[in-house]
Amino acid sequence: MTWLSKIRKVPFWSWFWFVLGVLYFVLPLYATLDFSLRMERDTISLKAYQSAFSDPEFLKTFLYSIFLAAMTIVVSIALVVPTAYWIRLRLPQARRIVEFITLMPFVVPAIILVFGLIRIYSSPFTIPFTSIVLMQPLTNFKVGTNILIIGGYTVLGLPYMYRSVDTGMRTVDVRTLTEAAQSMGANWGTIITKIILPNVRTALLSGALLTFAIVVGEVVLASFLGIPAFGPYLFLLGQHRAYEPAALAFTTFLLTWAAMGIIQLVTGGQSQAAGAH
Amino acid sequence: MVTTTLPAQKDKKLPTSWKNWIGVIPFFIFAILFLLLPSIRLFVGSFTTEGGKFTLDNMAQLFSQRVILDAYKISIQISAITALAGGIFGFMLAYAITVGGLPKPLRTALITFSGVASNFAGVPLAFAFVATLGRTGFITAIMKTYFNMNIYDKGFNLYSFIGLCLTYLYFQFPLMVLIMAPALDGLKKEWKEAAMNLGANNMQYWLKVALPVLLPSILGSMILLFGNAFGAYATAYALTGGALPIVTILIGAQIRGDVLHNPGLGFAMAMGMVVIMAVSLGGYSWLQSRTERWLK
Amino acid sequence: MRTNKFVLPIFVIFVILATALSACGPAATEAPTQVVDMTDPMAELVAAAKAEGMLTTIALPHDWCNYGGMIDGFKAKYGLTINELNPDGGSGDEIEAIKANKDNSGPQAPDVVDVGFAFGTSSKAEGLLMPYKVSTWDSIPADAKDPEGYWYGDYYGVMAFLVNTDVQPNVPQDWADLLKPEYAGQIALSGDPRTSNQAIQAVYASGLANGGTLDDFQPGLEFFKQLNAAGNLIPLIANNGLVAKGEIPIRITWDYNGQAAIDSFAGNPKAELVIPSTGRFAGVYVQAISAYAPHPNAAKLWMEYVYSDEGQNIYAQGYCHPIRETDMRARNVMPAEITSKLPDAAGAVFPSVAQLDAAKATITTEWDTVVGANIQAAP
Repeated sequence: MTWLSKIRKVPFWSWFWFVLGVLYFVLPLYATLDFSLRMERDTISLKAYQSAFSDPEFLKTFLYSIFLAAMTIVVSIALVVPTAYWIRLRLPQARRIVEFITLMPFVVPAIILVFGLIRIYSSPFTIPFTSIVLMQPLTNFKVGTNILIIGGYTVLGLPYMYRSVDTGMRTVDVRTLTEAAQSMGANWGTIITKIILPNVRTALLSGALLTFAIVVGEVVLASFLGIPAFGPYLFLLGQHRAYEPAALAFTTFLLTWAAMGIIQLVTGGQSQAAGAH
Repeated sequence: MVTTTLPAQKDKKLPTSWKNWIGVIPFFIFAILFLLLPSIRLFVGSFTTEGGKFTLDNMAQLFSQRVILDAYKISIQISAITALAGGIFGFMLAYAITVGGLPKPLRTALITFSGVASNFAGVPLAFAFVATLGRTGFITAIMKTYFNMNIYDKGFNLYSFIGLCLTYLYFQFPLMVLIMAPALDGLKKEWKEAAMNLGANNMQYWLKVALPVLLPSILGSMILLFGNAFGAYATAYALTGGALPIVTILIGAQIRGDVLHNPGLGFAMAMGMVVIMAVSLGGYSWLQSRTERWLK
Repeated sequence: MRTNKFVLPIFVIFVILATALSACGPAATEAPTQVVDMTDPMAELVAAAKAEGMLTTIALPHDWCNYGGMIDGFKAKYGLTINELNPDGGSGDEIEAIKANKDNSGPQAPDVVDVGFAFGTSSKAEGLLMPYKVSTWDSIPADAKDPEGYWYGDYYGVMAFLVNTDVQPNVPQDWADLLKPEYAGQIALSGDPRTSNQAIQAVYASGLANGGTLDDFQPGLEFFKQLNAAGNLIPLIANNGLVAKGEIPIRITWDYNGQAAIDSFAGNPKAELVIPSTGRFAGVYVQAISAYAPHPNAAKLWMEYVYSDEGQNIYAQGYCHPIRETDMRARNVMPAEITSKLPDAAGAVFPSVAQLDAAKATITTEWDTVVGANIQAAP
């Protein structure tokens, strides 16, 4: 395209959709912010924010949730990428059943999931038909409970992570890439880490962002497993107040957005323009 | 030897030996440990009475109770409408920031914002919309003072099916943007140039080249949006307080409520949702196989 | 891009290290055994509880009946850690949590629960509770406790209206006032009448002022049918944010919730609590110890604290009428600044468990058909 035609092509429609989108997203946030600033009668003040943040638990639980989110993202990627890749390459027959499984978290209420996890993992692991105890129940110790909740969060994020990765792999021709790499003598490890992962990076980023948001805002799993996460803390604080929940919602939004910006930086950002590889 | 075996492999049927299933075993183990086993209670419980005996009564109620059938209908309606609307507008947004030529920082901003907004739900989202479009909302106020129009008198009501759809879209649009942006990135510039060289205009390029290529991804995203709306609970509860009977709220009433507490019925309704998701997935798979036919 | 290649692996290693380190935290140390005066059962209990070191509670919002103050007071007095699960739970959640954690001795299993009146008998029947009679057992009214000690009422409140007077200066004084046209689109319940204790009892209560009795709940449903038909009822679940915003100026809720809300508003907006002049309906909640409690002694100590004069006064500070109120007033152990702030509950009626169950059954099933406050879906 010549520079002349580029100038002629002011992307009017792109701006149109974008501005429309911005309006739709920003107005409700503005309404929340406006309400949160009105805790004092007839004036704008930050009182609601002061009240909400006077508690050191805010930062502590937020950081803990970020930590859990990071772990969940790692586990998720390690689980989903090889699986999606394998299905694309070698086992299309399994596609339906795997997709079905990844859509299940939508219809299993979180509260059933958490009680199910507790029921199963609260008794010691024994070898069947003997009374030899292999391991104490996961719920009894902290790392065990962390394992449970990371597993639970991975399940919750599965639909989004799988769909992201699957879409990403579809647009990248994994079959040809693999064969090219194999003909150059690469083994599976190299193929996955050096060829596949970098090429689905934007898709992984989408999946990671979605998972992150889910984990940080999640309440049911964390509160029933007794984990000091951000979601239950917010609930404890804001339930019966009027202005603080709005302040908290707005701040959480901003903080999570900032955290996502950082994730974006860490993973190298959007380096792919349309079609460039 | 440098020649690839590509053409031959394309025609050969893939071996179905058990070895091919090794790669998906970790996934299945994980799914069993953390999803299927804990959900067993769902399956077993839907056939159990509160006393613990086997019964088909819960399942029968799914079909006999008017309220439950209506709830499924409404749930499906809301999910389908927001999936479609979310899909279309989300696609336009994704297009705008990728192929559409907007400046890079806007893309980063929208992508990260979408990450957050995709999970903005429940009481905070409901409150945000009430503060915007409720009877005392600021848009309502603006319409009254500057445009002399009371939207509530004109029949708009946030606490309605339409209002709930509008609110659901807040997390449907971002989801579509996030999934479609990488897909739109994958549209090769060369295709557009080739099409232009052959004399196609922009519209023809999109209709005949780009959209068909993207269609499987679009469909896949829409089913994700469908599932997302289908399983949503907190937002609906916060905005309509249970007055709009959708399945998730009915299930919550049975399982969590102070009162009704017939978990078996709740589980049966959840199993109904599983069936509906399976059927939707079947429809989507069929559509996808039609559209993916000529894509490698 | 070369530098970025290393960022992800380093990040992963960092996270793994962080997990490992966090898991190597100090294990819970056993409280040093103290010399106990074995002739004082209370001291024995305290020592046993301290040895357990932890109490797990569930569904106790800090703003509800001043549970925040109760938890802080208990922690300060006995030095135990309190593990708070699910602050937003309903009674159903608490019961489910006991059932799910039967085999679990970890911190996810609730030791004590605070549930609606009717849940006491049903949980006892399911074998989920452990009996315990606190030292002040005798001063708990007989109709508010289980004779065998499985459950016991802890506080009660009266159904009332919270009114945002900035938006609606004309404050309704009674249930019948709510039907007036000036309140169009301004009234809401605090829950869904098909699931929430509070909402059901609101419907029940309205019946009392409308010609109903404790055994006849139809007038309550009829009243809400009229309220809905007049357009006064909004099908939202009212919370304090919505009241403050002015979107729902009139919220039907327990008096203690309303009073606590007025405190938190601190004048913005101005609000008033109205206890209806007729149709005063008291709702009792009960405490119980889980039969599978991992920390039974801590649980018993908690009960002793809650039912002591100190604990009951803490409830009163949260505007809840403590269950031992009559006894405490007679002995003059309720400070004047607390009693002066308690909402006036004179003439309130207390339904029995049987009546509550019957009301629940009727109201939940007939709400849809009689009141029809359903939002119609798009055709």
